[in-house]
Amino acid sequence: MLRSSEAGGVVYSRLIAKEGDESTYELFIGPQHPASGHMRFIVRLEGDIIVSVDPDIGYVHRTMEKLAEGREVIKSIPLLERMTIIDSHNVTLGLVRALEKLLDVEPPPRARYLRTLLSEINRIASHLYGMGIAGIMLNHSTMFMWAFGDREVWIQLAEDLSGSRLTHTYSVPGGVRRDLPQGFADKAEKAIRYMEKRLRDYMAIFLDNPQVRARYEGVGVLRKSEASRLGIVGPNLRASGIRYDARLAEDYAAYSELEFEVPVREEGDALARMLVRVEEIKQSMSIIRQVLRKIPDGPFFSEKYLRLLPPPLREQVAKTGRVKFPGVFASLKLPEGDAVSRVEMGHGEIFYHVTGNGSTKPYRLRVVTPSFRNVILFRYLMPGHRFMDFPAIYGSLDYFPPEADR
Amino acid sequence: MSKPVSSFKLHLRAVATGLKYLLFPNRITVYYPEEYVEPPEGYRGLIRYYPERCIQCGLCAMICPASAMKMYRTKTDRKGRPGVNYQRCIFCGFCVDICPQNALEMTKVHDVAYESLNELVVPPERFSQEPVSPAVAGGARRLKTVFDEERGLRHELA
Ligand code: SF4
Ligand code: SF4
Repeated sequence: MLRSSEAGGVVYSRLIAKEGDESTYELFIGPQHPASGHMRFIVRLEGDIIVSVDPDIGYVHRTMEKLAEGREVIKSIPLLERMTIIDSHNVTLGLVRALEKLLDVEPPPRARYLRTLLSEINRIASHLYGMGIAGIMLNHSTMFMWAFGDREVWIQLAEDLSGSRLTHTYSVPGGVRRDLPQGFADKAEKAIRYMEKRLRDYMAIFLDNPQVRARYEGVGVLRKSEASRLGIVGPNLRASGIRYDARLAEDYAAYSELEFEVPVREEGDALARMLVRVEEIKQSMSIIRQVLRKIPDGPFFSEKYLRLLPPPLREQVAKTGRVKFPGVFASLKLPEGDAVSRVEMGHGEIFYHVTGNGSTKPYRLRVVTPSFRNVILFRYLMPGHRFMDFPAIYGSLDYFPPEADR
Repeated sequence: MSKPVSSFKLHLRAVATGLKYLLFPNRITVYYPEEYVEPPEGYRGLIRYYPERCIQCGLCAMICPASAMKMYRTKTDRKGRPGVNYQRCIFCGFCVDICPQNALEMTKVHDVAYESLNELVVPPERFSQEPVSPAVAGGARRLKTVFDEERGLRHELA
C-alpha cells in the first residue's frame, strides 16, 4: 500500500513515522528477511542515517520453558538443546547442572572433563557460525563459506564423540552418555593444527582486509559503562573491556582445573568483538589440548545411577563406553526446592532456574539466554550510524534469534 | 583508513590468500549418491529392534522425548511391543540407552527416503528388519572421513 506524498510526487511508504516530519522513514526488516533471521527490526531512518531501531522478537515463539514444565525432566534436555542448535551442548549443560543440584548427584571427574571437551568443540563451532554469518552480512561470501566449511571439522569431532552432528544430548544428570572414542586425541590434534593455520588465513582475507576494517573499525562502539549497565554478556561484553566469563565465575565441568585466558579488548567496536571471538577459538583449542592430556581414568557416569543397573549391564557400560540408563531415568522425581546454574555459551552466559515440587516434571523451569540479554544492543548501538552499518553491527553481535525466543 | 602503503600490502595479502585457495582448493564435497560417507562408530541413525530379546517393559516408549516410540498391541502378545514413528523421532537415542535388554540398537543408516507419510510409521514387525541405505544398496562407493592437518577433512575409500 503506497501513497504518493504531495511534495514532488515522491512515493513514500505509508509507514512514514509520525514523529517529526516526513523525512523520517520507517523501514521494517523481517521477520522473513534473509538477513534478519526470525525476527523483525523496525528501523527509523533520516536519509540513510539510523535514528532508532526497535528489535521486535517473538516470531519463533517456541515456549520452550512452558513445554519443559509439561514433561519429565530428562525429556527437557533434547527439547532445550534446540534453542541454540549450533551450540547444543553448552545450552543444555546449564540445565543438567541445575538438575544435578536438585537430584543431589555429582558427575565423576572423567565426565567433567568430557563435558569440557564437547563444550569447547561447540564453542569453536558456534564462533565459526557467527563469523560466517558476519561475513555474509558484509557480502564477503568467502568468509561465509570458509567458516561454514571449517565448522564441519568440529562438527565431525562432535559426531565422533557423541554420535550426532548437532543435537548431541551428551550430558545427562550424573555424567555423560559416551566415553572418549579411540583415536580421538589424534583427530582433535589434527583439527587444531588445521584450524591454527586457517585462523591466519581468516585474518588475511577478512579481519585484516582493509575493506572489512573500514566497515568494522570504530563502528557500533559499546562503552564499558554502557555494557555493564545494560547487562551484556559473552564476547560482546569482553570486547568492551570487562573481564567476565561464567567459566571463571561458576565452578562447572573441569574449568577450575584447566588454564586458559579470557580474551579482553578495550575498543568495544565491531572489530574488537570479532577479534575477541578469534582469540576465544585459540583459547578453546588450548583447552581441548589440555583436556585430552589431563583427562583422568575412571567411570564417566555417576555411581549413584550405575548401582541401579544389573551387574551384566554395568560391565557392559564399562566395556563399551556407552551408558545404560537405569529404569528410573524415565521418571526421575525432582525433590522440592530450587536450583540455579549458569554456563558460558559461545554467545555468552546462559542462566537456568529450576524449581522442583516432588513430581517427575519441573514445577517451573526458567531460562535466560545470552541472545535475549544482548538483543537490547540493537537499540543502543545503531543510532547515528549509516544504514549500511546495520548489517556490520548485527553480524558483529553474533545474535541468534531462536535463542531469544525461548 | 588513510594509510595507503600499509593498506596496499594488506589488500595484496588478502588477494594472495584467495588466489592460494583458487589454485589449491580444499573442497570436501561428496558426490552422493555415487559416493556415500560412512558415519563413525556409534552414530545415531535409524533404530533396529530385536524382538527376541525384548521383555516388553515399555521403558523405551516412556522415555521417548518426542513421543515417537509407542507400544503397539500385537495379535500374539498380551503386552505391547515398541514401534517407532520416524515423523517424530529426533534420534536422541534415549530409547536405546534405557533398554535393559539391548533389544534396540542404533544403526549407521540415516539416508532412507520414504514415499508416503504412512511408511514413516514403523510398527514392531517392520521395526525388526535391518534398515538399508538406498545409496549403499545402489552400489555407492563407501568413503570414510579422515582428519587432515593440511585440509581439515578428507574423504578416503573405506
Ligand atoms: S531415538 Fe529418541 S526420539 Fe527416536 S524413538 Fe528413540 S527415544 Fe524416541
Ligand atoms: S525398553 Fe527394550 S525391552 Fe523394554 S520394551 Fe523397549 S525394546 Fe523391549
